[in-house]
Amino acid sequence: MTVLSVPTRKAAPPESPLVRPKRRRPRPTIVLTHVALLAGGVAWLYPFWWVLGSSLKDTGGFFSGGLNPLPHQFLWSNYTQAWREASFGTYFLNTLLITLGTVVLTLISTAMAGYVLSRTSFPGRGLCLGLVSATLFLPHGYTIIPIFDTVQKLGLLNSLWAVIIVQAAGGIVFGTFLFMGFFGSIDRALEDAARVDGASFHQTFWRVMLPLSGPMAATVGLFTAITAWNSFFIPLVFTLGRPDLRTLAVGMYAFIGENSTQWTLLCAGSVITLAPIIVLFLLLQRFFVNGLAGAVKQ
Amino acid sequence: MAIAQARQRAWSARWSYVYLAPMMVLLVGFIVYPIVASLGYTLYRWNGIGDPSEFVGLGNFRQITHDSIFWHAVEHTFVFAAFVVPIQLVLALALALVLNNRKLRFASFYRTLYFLPVVTSAAVMGVVIQLLISNFGDKINSILLTLHVIDHHVDWLAQPHFAFAIIIAVGIWHTFGYNLVYFLAGLQTIPEDLYEAARMDGAGRRAQFWHITIPMLRGVGVVILILAIIGTFQIFDIVQIITGGGPYFATEVVNTYIYHLAFGGANATAVQPDVGLASAASFFYGLLLIAFSAIQVVVLRSLVRRRSQGVVAA
Repeated sequence: MTVLSVPTRKAAPPESPLVRPKRRRPRPTIVLTHVALLAGGVAWLYPFWWVLGSSLKDTGGFFSGGLNPLPHQFLWSNYTQAWREASFGTYFLNTLLITLGTVVLTLISTAMAGYVLSRTSFPGRGLCLGLVSATLFLPHGYTIIPIFDTVQKLGLLNSLWAVIIVQAAGGIVFGTFLFMGFFGSIDRALEDAARVDGASFHQTFWRVMLPLSGPMAATVGLFTAITAWNSFFIPLVFTLGRPDLRTLAVGMYAFIGENSTQWTLLCAGSVITLAPIIVLFLLLQRFFVNGLAGAVKQ
Repeated sequence: MAIAQARQRAWSARWSYVYLAPMMVLLVGFIVYPIVASLGYTLYRWNGIGDPSEFVGLGNFRQITHDSIFWHAVEHTFVFAAFVVPIQLVLALALALVLNNRKLRFASFYRTLYFLPVVTSAAVMGVVIQLLISNFGDKINSILLTLHVIDHHVDWLAQPHFAFAIIIAVGIWHTFGYNLVYFLAGLQTIPEDLYEAARMDGAGRRAQFWHITIPMLRGVGVVILILAIIGTFQIFDIVQIITGGGPYFATEVVNTYIYHLAFGGANATAVQPDVGLASAASFFYGLLLIAFSAIQVVVLRSLVRRRSQGVVAA
């Protein structure tokens, strides 16, 4: 801000001292600020423009075009080819199923747990809370091996369920705390009123409390969806032996190793991976940003 | 009597247990048990197949603490954090100050623009950056070749310093948005009256920034700093995809080092998978981080307290 305002102040002719420079300052400064913010933003997202443009180039254009994101012609067949021949269609479906499964499992388990931990008392509550909190402070070690072992013993290896369960478990502490905070802040009179009206424990939760938690559910759901869609390490480990179960991120990684020359298909694959989560974020960003802001303010 | 009472209380709260069960099963089965189990593995030499049998006691820890590659990986991780955290926080605070201006229109649109990389996969962006660099490298190569600065094609990502700089740049870019949103949230908690009062007293923009904004942001700022540091210490995806820790461990960070121990080396030097060693390295690194964050919290707290006492006294 101050940097931007310096030249305008210099440019202002030294008129009468009665005219305060404060008055004429805002306009050019605001315009310059907008230009700088917009130019900076477009440059900031340059990797996205480049991959979007490159996904429509032919191989020759990809190399001659270099850093210029604009393609000469739009080669949409890169997308059909990536979707069908490079298996990105399968990867997309796997990623979608894993993301949906992870979100549903996380939401149900954390909403129920957050509710009973914050609104009911029962023997062992302190112990459960302690266990949940302790996991935040323990050094996690290299847990992927015992996790792999457990999944194998449950007979879930080589299925999408393995990735769903492991990823849902990864987000439950965070989700449980958010729901605990939310349900804890609701007026107790509401619950009492429901009970007076004859609502059972289940009806109170599913019909009264859960619908109220909509915004919090959206926050937890969106966080979980973004994490699940983008996760790389867990699906990498659990699909090492099953290429048909790969997610988009893992598929991209494998694609480099297997077809290292088809750059434009790789770019199309990147767009297929990036676009859905960006669209989802743009639609629901309110919940995401508020959730983040709330986390820091507390 | 007491037992019967406890039993009755437990029975009347039976649905609480049922509601809690899914979360607790996931927690115990996939978080608590693996932590405990991986602690057990640290005492064995084990390639991950079958059951661990070769007991080595604390030998793995001895090996890790004497491994120069491990300490280099720690050093690389700290250097990464030392570049990423200050640059990210200063840039994010500067942009947050600009966007926090109430008269600025489209502020939330700009926030979205700069936030967007956060929601994208680090793995996929790593691939994209790799493609970009190889294209960019080609251009640079052809220019340098015609100028006779170099006499052969240079693989830029195989240049240790260049590769590391790229990883740092991508690291800053990818998680910048978190800090932006955190700072915006922090700035919004500062009451507007303070600035008004300061302006009435004739305080300029700079004075307002140093005497209101910065002191008021201190509490949130400490949280943002700690979150940023914790995040950078866990760097994995970007490095694994862009360089795999190479060339010759020049960009190896702790998490890629541990991954290579557990699943074999992707580098030129083939490392035998050793889950025991990987668990020991991971556990040891966890302890290092806990010690580091404890020191950090103590130091930051005392700084904040001393300063705020100074403010009150003044």
